[in-house]
Amino acid sequence: MSQYLVKDGVKNLIKPGEKLITTHCCYCGMQCGMHIRVNEKSGKVVGVEPRYDWPVTMGKMCPKGVTAYQTVEHKDRILKPLIKKNGTFVESSWEEALDLIEKNFKRLQAEYGKDSISVFGGVSMTNEKCYLVGKYARVALGTRYIDYNGRFCMSSAAGGALATLGIDRGSTLPWPELEHSDCFFIAGSNTAECHPTSIQWFWRAKDKGAKLIVADPRETPTARVADVHLDLKPGTDSALANGIMHILVKEGYVDEEYVKSRCNNYGELKDSIKHWTPDYTSQITGVAVEKIIKAAHIYGMSPRSVVMFARGVEQQSKGVDNVSLYTSMALLRGQIGKFASGVATFTGQGNGQGGREHGQKADLLPGYRKLTDPEAVKYISKVWGIEPKDMPKPGVSAYEMFDEIQKGSIRAMHVICSNPAVSAPNTEHIWAGFKKLDFLVVSDFFLSETAEFADVVLPTTTWAEDEGTTTNLEGRVIRIRKVCEPLGESKTDWEIMRDIAIRMGKGKHFPYQNAREIFEEFRVATKGGKADYYGITWERIDKEDGVFWPCPSEDHPGTPTMFKEKFGTPDGKANLAVVDWKEPGEYPTLEYPHILTTGRVVFHYLSGNQTRRVDFLMEQCPLPYAEMHPELASHYNLQNGDKVKLSTRRSHMTVDVKLTKAIRNDTVFVPYHWGKELAVNQLTNPCLDPTSRMPEFKVCAVKIEKV
Amino acid sequence: MNKIMYLEFERCIGCRSCQAACRECGDHDAKERNYVEYVDFMESRQTYPMLCMQCKDPACARVCPANAIQITEEGVVLSAMEEKCIGCRNCTFGCPFGIPKFDFEENKMYKCDMCYDRSKHDIAPMCASVCPSDAIRFIDYDEMQALRRKRTQMNLVEGKKPQEGNKWQYVPEFFGVYSD
Repeated sequence: MSQYLVKDGVKNLIKPGEKLITTHCCYCGMQCGMHIRVNEKSGKVVGVEPRYDWPVTMGKMCPKGVTAYQTVEHKDRILKPLIKKNGTFVESSWEEALDLIEKNFKRLQAEYGKDSISVFGGVSMTNEKCYLVGKYARVALGTRYIDYNGRFCMSSAAGGALATLGIDRGSTLPWPELEHSDCFFIAGSNTAECHPTSIQWFWRAKDKGAKLIVADPRETPTARVADVHLDLKPGTDSALANGIMHILVKEGYVDEEYVKSRCNNYGELKDSIKHWTPDYTSQITGVAVEKIIKAAHIYGMSPRSVVMFARGVEQQSKGVDNVSLYTSMALLRGQIGKFASGVATFTGQGNGQGGREHGQKADLLPGYRKLTDPEAVKYISKVWGIEPKDMPKPGVSAYEMFDEIQKGSIRAMHVICSNPAVSAPNTEHIWAGFKKLDFLVVSDFFLSETAEFADVVLPTTTWAEDEGTTTNLEGRVIRIRKVCEPLGESKTDWEIMRDIAIRMGKGKHFPYQNAREIFEEFRVATKGGKADYYGITWERIDKEDGVFWPCPSEDHPGTPTMFKEKFGTPDGKANLAVVDWKEPGEYPTLEYPHILTTGRVVFHYLSGNQTRRVDFLMEQCPLPYAEMHPELASHYNLQNGDKVKLSTRRSHMTVDVKLTKAIRNDTVFVPYHWGKELAVNQLTNPCLDPTSRMPEFKVCAVKIEKV
Repeated sequence: MNKIMYLEFERCIGCRSCQAACRECGDHDAKERNYVEYVDFMESRQTYPMLCMQCKDPACARVCPANAIQITEEGVVLSAMEEKCIGCRNCTFGCPFGIPKFDFEENKMYKCDMCYDRSKHDIAPMCASVCPSDAIRFIDYDEMQALRRKRTQMNLVEGKKPQEGNKWQYVPEFFGVYSD
């Protein structure tokens, strides 16, 4: 099988003595296509070359993508297992590290029961690994306590899509179709910074006259080029969506035929949005009446439109409501299941889509099966070779695992591919949890803030040292190729899980020699589920530029456009959301008079454990800052570069002030990619969405003091 | 090479991918030769990229007392030849776009060469290859002309007609870098 894929007529620069290996970026859900340059003699990674013929990104890359290869042979890589002795890490052999893990896991399980050990997964890794994390927790460790960092990222989008459409596939349409859309309604996404290579599609459509409506408290680089910027108050998305729907109904923009034949609850919806007049919507959201009306008319008149959203609306205690309401906007216009129109969420993590479908979630099994469904348990038990009665019951969500630690029911944790010490809300609670644990194992390739709490750190490989598949934000399953041999003594995550499984006496369930073997088992495990990957093979992915799930058989073409005939709900009809706006978990008070919101910058990825080690990215953005409007700043006599102390009900931190008029004058923004005293998540509110258990990162009340 | 570097400032999202990519070009010694700046961050997040205009009669080459800055047959203005550069930094002051930079350790100037090792084979320079928003493009001369006409057409479609005294608002706000 060729390692370098290129279409006829496309030229790349291949330097003498080098070869190219075709793969995708390790960072966000765009999964930009790229070739990695490798020195033929030494096998070392030397650079990156654009993959001009990858149909989703056309060779484009953001600065993280361009520099991604620099993490592979980085000097900070952990090359041997580390064991903490007297408070400091000491390099050890794999034998010694695995002995220690076996001893402690067995001791704790004998003393406190199977569920005393927990697994905290992540989705910045391949489907093969994500699938195996679920199996590892339930079969090798036999614990119910497994959850993953998608709870901080994608679970509200999943909850909203399941409630309205019945199947959670991030995008209902393939993205090359976006070029042909007439209108984009983008809520809570700064896609120009968080998924930069997506912006080319909006421009292609814009060049043909498409309109762009952006709802965001900040005038982000995305909002800057919008036709209407709805500068709403953080935490008022469901009010805005209800307000827009009110106008759609009143002005006759509803596709009555479509709604009648394909949607439930239309009557109830009409009743519930009656009072969301433009005036009332404006009063709640803080957006000018004329902007709301203009946006609704543009959206309503567009023959083909796409509603898109991201963490801005999802990371709220009403995240599922927000997603359901925005999705309902698309349903009212009869847009879902048609060409160049639909709904989409911008998946944050590289494999945020694939990783959430296959059993890392506390209540899910592979193929988007429910752990509470006896048939699903029976089927997966058969695939895994266990008795259905041995399948653990559903556990609790990511943040709630730390409550279980405080209660004493979780005594040990294995963190894989995640850094909750930075990315979880109310981090001081998380740090206290790590300290209270009897035993903490962390698998990572850099010593993250989470790994610093560990008793044992296991060195894993980067994305470039293993092969497998990921699912990008469209739902397209793609191939990650192995570019070089593992550095030092590092092992892939699946080898680590297999080795621990062997120590726990479950080796016969983990007989894998390579990632392909896991993929073959994983295909079977997803067969018949909602996220059916059975028909997808690595060869097909190469040949067809990726395959969209569901793809139930090898002769099935895959499903680029979802819901063409019917929805994934039991009756095949979409459920319009009938929910009113509710206050966020915290709102401004006399003591905490302003709103704090958090987000990303283009130079860093998630908890920053990788990007904070790349020189170019650190030169551009070395520290967090508090972005605020000069009008707000002048109340506190703050100038650019002054230090400001931000306090919330949880904690406080001090950062530099950065002034701009491109933000609401009642809102402060701080990027979240840093750890310890620089972590804005010390301040954020762990108020959880009742359905998705997603914390409210995007809204909390804050006090400002000049230092 | 009958290609043009084409800039469209409005599209710039300020991601500085072009700078990161510039460092990746094989002949660039991991030093970027372009830059991205905010117009005025206090007012807006508008940024713009800037790279060498590959001038027909380049100020940098004109003011070079050592004749160290060569122009290729395609019209690409190269970095100063190492053996000729005397390190006077005249070029860094002469360029109206602020492109030539000076390496004080190596005592020589370096500048954007349109990734000559790529562009001479008609492969796009790194900055234009990666730019997520197509603010920087490497396109044919004809394509550039078509894009200019397209902008005029879009103005008309949207009902924007220039009046006496505001015609400049309807001029396409982008311009090309001619290499030929």
